[in-house]
Amino acid sequence: MSTITIENLSKHFEQHPVLQDLNLTIPDGSFFTLLGPSGCGKTTLLRCIAGFNEPDCGRILFDQDDITHVPAHQRNIGMVFQDYALFPDKSVHDNVAYGLRARKVAPDEVRVRTAEALALVDLTSFASRLPAQLSGGQRQRVALARALVIKPRVLLMDEPLSNLDAKLRLSMRDMIRDLQRQARITTVFVTHDQEEALALSDQVAVMQSGGIAQMGAPDSLYALPETAYVADFVGSANLLEVEFMGPGQVTLAGQTLQVDTAAARSGERNQLVLRAETLELLPEDEPGPSNCLRVTLAGRQYLGARTLLRVALAGGLTLQVDAPGLQRYQTGQALCLRVPPSSRVICR
Amino acid sequence: MRRWRSLWPWGVLSALSLALLVLFVAYPMSVLTLNSLHDAQGRLSLAGFATVFGESQYLQAIGNTLLLGVTVTLSAMAVGVPLAYVIARFDFPLKSLVAILPVVTIIIPEVIVGQSWLMMLGNNGLISNFLRELGLPVPSFYGWSGMIFSMTLIYYTYIYLGTLAALRGFDGQLEEASLSLGASPLATRLRVLLPTVAPAILVNALVVFTLVVGNFALSSMLGGQIPLLSVMTYSLFVSEMGSSPMLQSSLSVVLVLIVALVLFVQKRVVERRMVQMVQGRAPAPRQVQNWQGKLLALAAVLLVTLSLVPLVAVVVGAFTRARGPVMHWGEWSTQSMERAFSLAPEPIFNSMLFAGVATLLGTSLALLVSYLVVKKKSGLSALLDYAVVLPLTISGTVLGIALVQSFNTAPLILTGTSAIMIIVYVVRRMPFGVRNASSVLYNLPNSVEEASISLGVSPLMSFFKVVLPVMKTSMLSAAILMWATSISELSASVVVYSGGLETLPISIFRLVDTGRLGLASAYGTVLVTLILVPVALAARFLKVNLFSGK
Repeated sequence: MSTITIENLSKHFEQHPVLQDLNLTIPDGSFFTLLGPSGCGKTTLLRCIAGFNEPDCGRILFDQDDITHVPAHQRNIGMVFQDYALFPDKSVHDNVAYGLRARKVAPDEVRVRTAEALALVDLTSFASRLPAQLSGGQRQRVALARALVIKPRVLLMDEPLSNLDAKLRLSMRDMIRDLQRQARITTVFVTHDQEEALALSDQVAVMQSGGIAQMGAPDSLYALPETAYVADFVGSANLLEVEFMGPGQVTLAGQTLQVDTAAARSGERNQLVLRAETLELLPEDEPGPSNCLRVTLAGRQYLGARTLLRVALAGGLTLQVDAPGLQRYQTGQALCLRVPPSSRVICR
Repeated sequence: MRRWRSLWPWGVLSALSLALLVLFVAYPMSVLTLNSLHDAQGRLSLAGFATVFGESQYLQAIGNTLLLGVTVTLSAMAVGVPLAYVIARFDFPLKSLVAILPVVTIIIPEVIVGQSWLMMLGNNGLISNFLRELGLPVPSFYGWSGMIFSMTLIYYTYIYLGTLAALRGFDGQLEEASLSLGASPLATRLRVLLPTVAPAILVNALVVFTLVVGNFALSSMLGGQIPLLSVMTYSLFVSEMGSSPMLQSSLSVVLVLIVALVLFVQKRVVERRMVQMVQGRAPAPRQVQNWQGKLLALAAVLLVTLSLVPLVAVVVGAFTRARGPVMHWGEWSTQSMERAFSLAPEPIFNSMLFAGVATLLGTSLALLVSYLVVKKKSGLSALLDYAVVLPLTISGTVLGIALVQSFNTAPLILTGTSAIMIIVYVVRRMPFGVRNASSVLYNLPNSVEEASISLGVSPLMSFFKVVLPVMKTSMLSAAILMWATSISELSASVVVYSGGLETLPISIFRLVDTGRLGLASAYGTVLVTLILVPVALAARFLKVNLFSGK
């Protein structure tokens, strides 16, 4: 268990910069997620921490130890790979015992600790199977047990859930989170799935072209995105260009709204972030609605628990609204869209 | 310091492998090329090439070689493609046997094929004599007819295997789509099936062409008076012994250039047209019903049987009473076998020793090289990737000549040692060994090794603990193929060997030349046994599919 500190890290592949002067501190025992689209550098950063990529410059520290040039096999890390990377010729038991044997742990202890690890991931009865005889979820659990059994300083996970189906992904999330809490092990988790990142993490770093766009706890990232990129990537958002009129006031498509303009700047491009589920649709003739936009309903997808609605502003802009239950409005109907005054304006 | 550490172990191993390939492939080839450009006085001269392209016997040899290559390639296609179609699309009794037996033709040594057909169809052959007694005219087997016949019956297998793989990977829905759009079954076969399979046929046809051009055993045993490049190069090598090697070198260079050109076309033009099927679901074979189908099935059975005649002939020959070139068919005797084992067993020991060592070294080196090329990409390993296919352009005769020219003087004298025999075997098999191992390595994700490293095992040890176990079966099948091809090798070893180093194929070749067919058959039987027993054992007990990667 260690604090991971990354200082001024840069990495090029051929002429192409992948990580650019990156600084980051991952607190001891926390679950830390690197979130971003493919090509943003998140996997490269993870592989630098693991020791599979050598950075061009900068340092990586586990607590006070500079491990920048320590070979991967001497870093004492546990890694879980996207494709599981189980040793195909070795049984489940031997896969899990592999790291212990490499550490010359006494055979009796190997047996005890391997059995414990397998019990932890609920695979005790599968110990003698070969990886090919397991389902995807079971393989991922073996990979998890194999990484944890060696009691590594840090646990690194590279999109471990992306090859599983949706239902399995949910239950694996719980298992990963529970195991991480129990072991209190510093964990770096790479994913492009924002929901996964929000559900699992203590801290999330949203990465953008080799750097960190914004870092914070899941709720603050979601509620207080600093840039359009983050707002769009962490939970989908309607991003609408608005005119900054003065403190707390913007106009959109000729209509005035009261919103949070703390981050707005006059003379620059200001965008209003509207989360689809914070918007409310009301009939147009409702008396005295405040902070409303006049819209028409353009389309509707009923999803059971909720309804996704597409509404159009005068001038052709459209917005997504995520409303609970069944919404009975008709396509083409004129409606009133209530915007919460806490909605933020950002200008990056 | 850090730079040096990053070179160990893979950088160092890449450099070492490359050095070996340079020493035993690139260097001999440059010596050969230089020799082709220098006359007896050591002056730079184009006289060698002037002779080759000026005198009619050499021009004839070039022409004949190309003609033979084209003819055998075409006839092998004419046999191999229909056979593949019948096997892929029809079911008939004995089909599974007929489908797999052609691969045996690849591992029967050519020298045995040549000898057996001579014993059947040669001047004094069993079948020739039988026909003569019936009063039928017997055309001479020596020359074009013998070479085309015997080579076709070996090389069709390459085209058959390639076409079969393509047909089995073919998405049957494409045919159904064509039929649904109103094309007739025949038009569908011509416009949809053929274009997708054609590149696979062509790639293998070009391989066959290069094999025919470089062929030595059958060309020299059955070619009669027809001048051919490989045979002529060999005779020049024998007659120029001790004098200037300019002419043999020039002919060798011509041979290499022909093969290199064909392989270049194959790589650059044909392989790019290979069609990748997204979801190959070949149509299920159907039971033959009408008489045409039955005839086709019968033809397939007969063809495969015919190509296995040499195997039977050599074993029967070994137990038949023989007097020089005269075989007393029907009179059984163990005399030849006894002679082989008691009076002259050296070729047996030599063959087993050389092929055994070559198998061990060759398989390990092929694994190492393919691992470096596939998993440890660097400038050096990219060079390795090129160096390792170089031997494909060098026919056995040429390789032998180049090695003799390079290693018969100080500082490194290898001519006349067992080492040069082993080197010949390893070099000739290297491209195939590397290709086999690479195909397995490409399917092994890098993350498996990284997982081992992350668990605390060093990169080098991870190779032994994780990569090697995964490769076990494919390494074993590669080793068996290496053993089978090495122990059959003739064209290069007959050039580099010297007294005391005779192997089984060399002995058989010389015995056939001097007309001692009994002992030749006995050696042949031992050779075939040494090849087929491991193959059969592996297939039976280890479920090794030797020819999955060819």
